[in-house]
Amino acid sequence: MQSVLSIAVDALAYGMVLFVISIGLSMTMGLMRVVNLAHGAFAMVGGYLASYAVRDLGLGYVAGVVLAVAGTVVIAAPIERLLYRRIYNKPELIQVLMTIGITFCVIGIANYLFGPTLKTIPLPAMLSGPVDLGFRSIAAHKLFAILCGLAVAAALWYLVERTPFGVKLRASVDNTPMAAALGVRTKYVYAASFAISVGLAAFGGIVGAELLPIEPYYALRYMVTFLVVVSVGGAGSIGGALLACLVLGAIDTTGRYLVPEYGEFFFYLAVIAIVCAFPRGLLGKA
Amino acid sequence: MKRMLLAAVAAIALSGTAGAETIKVGVVGPFSGPFAIQGKNFKAGIDAWMALNGAKVGDDDVEIVYRDLPAANPAQAKALAQDLVVKESVQYLAGFYFTPDAMAVTPLLEQANVPMVIMNAATSAIVTKSPLVVRTSFTLWQTSVPMAKVATARGIKKVITVVSDYGPGVDAETAFSTTFKADGGEIVESVRMPLSTTDFSPIMQRVKDSGAEAVFAFLPSGPTTLGFLKSYNENGLKGAGIQFLAPGDLTQESDLPALGDTALGVTTTFHYSVAHDSPENKKFVEAARAAIGNPAELSFPSVGAYDGMRVIYKMIEATGGRQDAAKAVDAVKGMAWESPRGPVSIDPESRHLTQNIYLREVAKAADGTYYNKEIQTFANMADPGLAAAK
Amino acid sequence: MDADHPASLAGQVARPRFSASADWIGLAAILAAAIIFYLLFPNNLALLTRVIGIVMLVLSVDLVTGFCGVATLGHAALFGAGAYAAGIAAAHFGITDPIAMIAAGAAGGAVAGLISGLVVLRGHGLGQLVLSIAIVNLFHEAANKAASWTGGSDGLTDIAPSPLFGVFAFDLWGRTAYGLGIALLVIVFFLLQRLSRSPFGMLCRGIRQDPIRVAAMGASVRKTLLKMYIISGLVAGVGGGLNAISTQVVGLDSLSFTLSAQALVMLVIGGTGSLYGAIIGTVVFMLFEDFVSAANPFHWLTIMGALLVGVVLFAPRGIFGTAAHLFDQWRRR
Repeated sequence: MQSVLSIAVDALAYGMVLFVISIGLSMTMGLMRVVNLAHGAFAMVGGYLASYAVRDLGLGYVAGVVLAVAGTVVIAAPIERLLYRRIYNKPELIQVLMTIGITFCVIGIANYLFGPTLKTIPLPAMLSGPVDLGFRSIAAHKLFAILCGLAVAAALWYLVERTPFGVKLRASVDNTPMAAALGVRTKYVYAASFAISVGLAAFGGIVGAELLPIEPYYALRYMVTFLVVVSVGGAGSIGGALLACLVLGAIDTTGRYLVPEYGEFFFYLAVIAIVCAFPRGLLGKA
Repeated sequence: MKRMLLAAVAAIALSGTAGAETIKVGVVGPFSGPFAIQGKNFKAGIDAWMALNGAKVGDDDVEIVYRDLPAANPAQAKALAQDLVVKESVQYLAGFYFTPDAMAVTPLLEQANVPMVIMNAATSAIVTKSPLVVRTSFTLWQTSVPMAKVATARGIKKVITVVSDYGPGVDAETAFSTTFKADGGEIVESVRMPLSTTDFSPIMQRVKDSGAEAVFAFLPSGPTTLGFLKSYNENGLKGAGIQFLAPGDLTQESDLPALGDTALGVTTTFHYSVAHDSPENKKFVEAARAAIGNPAELSFPSVGAYDGMRVIYKMIEATGGRQDAAKAVDAVKGMAWESPRGPVSIDPESRHLTQNIYLREVAKAADGTYYNKEIQTFANMADPGLAAAK
Repeated sequence: MDADHPASLAGQVARPRFSASADWIGLAAILAAAIIFYLLFPNNLALLTRVIGIVMLVLSVDLVTGFCGVATLGHAALFGAGAYAAGIAAAHFGITDPIAMIAAGAAGGAVAGLISGLVVLRGHGLGQLVLSIAIVNLFHEAANKAASWTGGSDGLTDIAPSPLFGVFAFDLWGRTAYGLGIALLVIVFFLLQRLSRSPFGMLCRGIRQDPIRVAAMGASVRKTLLKMYIISGLVAGVGGGLNAISTQVVGLDSLSFTLSAQALVMLVIGGTGSLYGAIIGTVVFMLFEDFVSAANPFHWLTIMGALLVGVVLFAPRGIFGTAAHLFDQWRRR
């Protein structure tokens, strides 16, 4: 029984880390219809900036995180203006090619600037120790990641469903020309939601850095994982992404506990089964 | 026409007349990509050797030709080797970080009349694929067997092994288990996890549930080792007194700054620590650090490359700069010298390095950096892997 | 470009512009290029042979992506299956005749194509991409697990193909392998040209443009696509078999997601929906990679990324597609 509980906690923590990183991608893919393979690259940029700010500049953790998220958005803004704007509404293959190209460039530049070794983001004392849950101990940063995931999910839901910006965003997505005709400045709506998703990527990269360490090949190494989460959840659905992360986290964690040597089979067979049963994702719009 | 061409190429390949000449050494390694740091270490080791010993053997100049092979890719390895041999007319092939890449090149050696000096690839069987292969690195059998001896000496009875599910991981597992069981120990469980594993908590839970007194682990050096060591600490295994045993890949020097306190006190067995205390090593580390730029990036592949260069220089000397692969390899059989890692020699039969293996512990130096402190020596280990395969 | 058609990229390189006589010109061009490359780079035949193997893989991707509109990031499963089939035939069953090994490769590729097709064709859009990734990762894991058959991550060794027709040995200089590769490429290309103009090929193009209409016409979309997947497997399998023969080692990299993604990138660079685009994209990508990574291994990834972005910005139809488009416009004037 204790093991079961213990595994459940691990699964939850892993799932929430996946969620924080992938939800931004789910937004770009579902709302903006861009297959953004460079999402992991932005998460990595966030991680590098945070590591630089906290480790090398000696800033506090919170200040470092804020600075890194803002910095990533600033870096991404000209990329959106110059490159992404040309591939909105373009065929998928073109988007894949462009975003892979961007990913390669980001990897090459990160490798040049920061070197090939892995970077860590020093945690504040509060987050670095283990926390006793009674039946087991868990790393404090994992609890932190779980809380971050829940907070992000709630905030995003509120933003998209309950604010004027959310209304404009959904209108632009459903019918861009009509929204524009009604006075929505769709270009800015797109730019703003792109900024939000990049910011979320960076935030996820930082919060998840304990599980998915920051190094130049981060952007390629976890690309598939993020894509799988989004497709299983259904692109654009916050609830779907959350559910997908919990399900995949549970499958992955139990699989690795019960049959580690077949963990990979377990995971991908489950993915195939889910995608075949729910072609639009668990909670995707038909 | 065709025969003429063949003859011409053969003539070029077989030439190497007397007098001052440039002798080319082709080095294949991962100079870009996820393993770029290991390639950088190859280059640092080679540069260090040439800085200390000059770029000349007798009258002949030695020139290194590098070729990049970012990840294991035998087809590309073969294409690069062919390019080096046929177009660049190299007399020696060296480097090779991954086993399949080295395996793909061995069938070419005899025809090309070129010896191959492996500076890393660590599967025992490579040296059996061609009599022209010499290896100056290590095998996982070599580094894992002493760990089993350490476990027995510490009075540990039950061990669980946890390795990455690929060739080297399986090698490490077999080497440890065979030795440990032969000494009367018990392997309570053998876990193989996919290379892509990032969250190790479930594995640690499994280790905990197994009731073992120690865990023997192998993962390839690089990003995942951080997550693995962290979950070992965070899941309370360290607290529960379950000992951690591993070959030195897990605490290679270039990963130590990132591992930091997480790795403190972890004991591993390996053939080389940058902190090895000898005048030879001081000289080497100084030169290699200058070559690599960032001193924190220096790690074990550099010493394989450094000793590989020593072997190649000896081969050039023995053949007088003439291309004669068999003679070159014969000349280094049984060769013994003081390497930065300690005394080593080339076993005449297997053409693999006989060397000391050290038990080390990660410690913190006065200046706040971390290093692998050698605490015990297993002298003159040959490769037990070849013996086991027989 | 028209935005309303998700897979319209391929449509631009429309077929009927070329007549059947252009087919022969195409074959002649391939042969001429093969001879020119041989004369220009006589010492790089191993690289050129590797390029031919990958060309087959990219052609095979083109069959399902360019012709049928099925997006895949897992096509290396077919290529790798071919390579392992040929390698296992030689290493474990003593079938060392190169032609027989190629046949084994084609068969292995076809079986992998059938399995992939059955799974991948169940999804759409993003789901389809993910299914293809899942398939290639499962294949990769299976090959890693079956180490006694495949050598696992150490690679499958001891593949010693006997001389071609009992005469031409596979040697250091790789002339035999190159010749065999060119011959196979010409045969495959000829057959694929026939295929693309056949009613079956037309049906596939129809499915790409509008599967619902094709279904309404009474044709079975799934069966047609599955057939194409098997054919695609045959082609990729031949490429894999060639790779196994010329390298004499098969590694897990031949079943990797990376190789799959690279193949798709090469295809899009060259231009989807055209057999020429597949060849040109592969040759350009691989020679560029070889050149840049030799010139500057430390920055080649950045340069490669810039090239991809450049292609999207300045030649969104791919090299061949854009060239054909410009040629068309010039002719209409």
